[in-house]
Amino acid sequence: MEDPASLCVRLANQRRPSSRTPSTVMVGMSLLRTAAAFTARLNPLKRTCQSSNLLSRTVARSEQVVVRHGSHGKRMFIIKPTDFYDRRFLHLLKYYILLAGIPVAALVTFVNIFIGESELAEIPEGYEPEHWEYYKHPITRWIARSFYDSPVKDYEKMMALIQMEAEKAEMRHLQLEVRRHMREKGDGPWFQVQTLDKNLIDHSPKSSPDN
Amino acid sequence: MPKDHDKDVYPEPSSRTPVEDRKSLLPNPALILSKLFYYSVDLPVTTFRDVIEGIQSGKKSHYYHQKFRRVPELTQCQEGDYVCYYEAEMQWRRDYKVDQEIVKVIQERLRACQQREGPSYSQNCYKELQQFEQVSKAFQSRYGDLGAYASGRKCLMKQKERMMAEQQQA
Repeated sequence: MEDPASLCVRLANQRRPSSRTPSTVMVGMSLLRTAAAFTARLNPLKRTCQSSNLLSRTVARSEQVVVRHGSHGKRMFIIKPTDFYDRRFLHLLKYYILLAGIPVAALVTFVNIFIGESELAEIPEGYEPEHWEYYKHPITRWIARSFYDSPVKDYEKMMALIQMEAEKAEMRHLQLEVRRHMREKGDGPWFQVQTLDKNLIDHSPKSSPDN
Repeated sequence: MPKDHDKDVYPEPSSRTPVEDRKSLLPNPALILSKLFYYSVDLPVTTFRDVIEGIQSGKKSHYYHQKFRRVPELTQCQEGDYVCYYEAEMQWRRDYKVDQEIVKVIQERLRACQQREGPSYSQNCYKELQQFEQVSKAFQSRYGDLGAYASGRKCLMKQKERMMAEQQQA
């Protein structure tokens, strides 16, 4: 497929009149030819030259680069099984790990550089340290301060639970003991069987001996 | 900079005596290696640490070691007083951890002594050896085969067995 510029050049060459006198037609033709050659070189669809020698008539000499191909210069289409899924998996793995990993790593680095760990010191006289002041790293201290209860409070909570369970066990044991006693002796409020009132008994069938 | 180790506990062997009697003209490889280690590892790490501490030039926060009060032990608790049992159990666990750390420290001292003295350690480290033997025997007799579910009660029962065995022997 010829481009339009070279087509114009070819037709201009064919249609040149053979008379010797330079006529307007010939001048026009030669102008057309120059213009066609110009557009052929500067075709925007086929921009191959650099901008420095755009309007000059020279052509840049391309360097012959020596490229070693394993296929001896011939372009090969290597047929191998698809690695699309593997590469996609690894890409997504790296992406999701680094999505949270990089901010966390940056945070920990900046905390370690700019805030720094605490130093061990003797407890000053008459001072009760807060429960987070028993840890070294600033992030551990922050977690202990903001989220966790103090170990003293946890200890007391556990002792409270034990006390409640002990009281329940004691109550249950006592209840069994009391039950046994009341069953045996029968003089307590439990295990009372209500009998009828004596005044309700009708003694009339046996009230007199001759009835 | 964090403090160096206690020089009284882990003494370094003196570097002046004995006088070195070099017979060969080759350089001392130990010296070369120690200088290499110093310039490639020690110096960069120390300067990095100093730079970081220069950035952190502010009020340093402190952390403390918690001090626990002594509470009545298992033998001093009333029977059925579960809260007292719990406190005695917690105290026993803390003491167990402390004893484990004591044994580790004694082991570390013996190890350091052996490293220092080299082939003649059985003679030069006699004190550390005796200390280690004593401490490990005591630890074994008190906490020895209690296992992973060790508790204050089991330790007390083990002590009772030990005392009974001693009485039978006597």
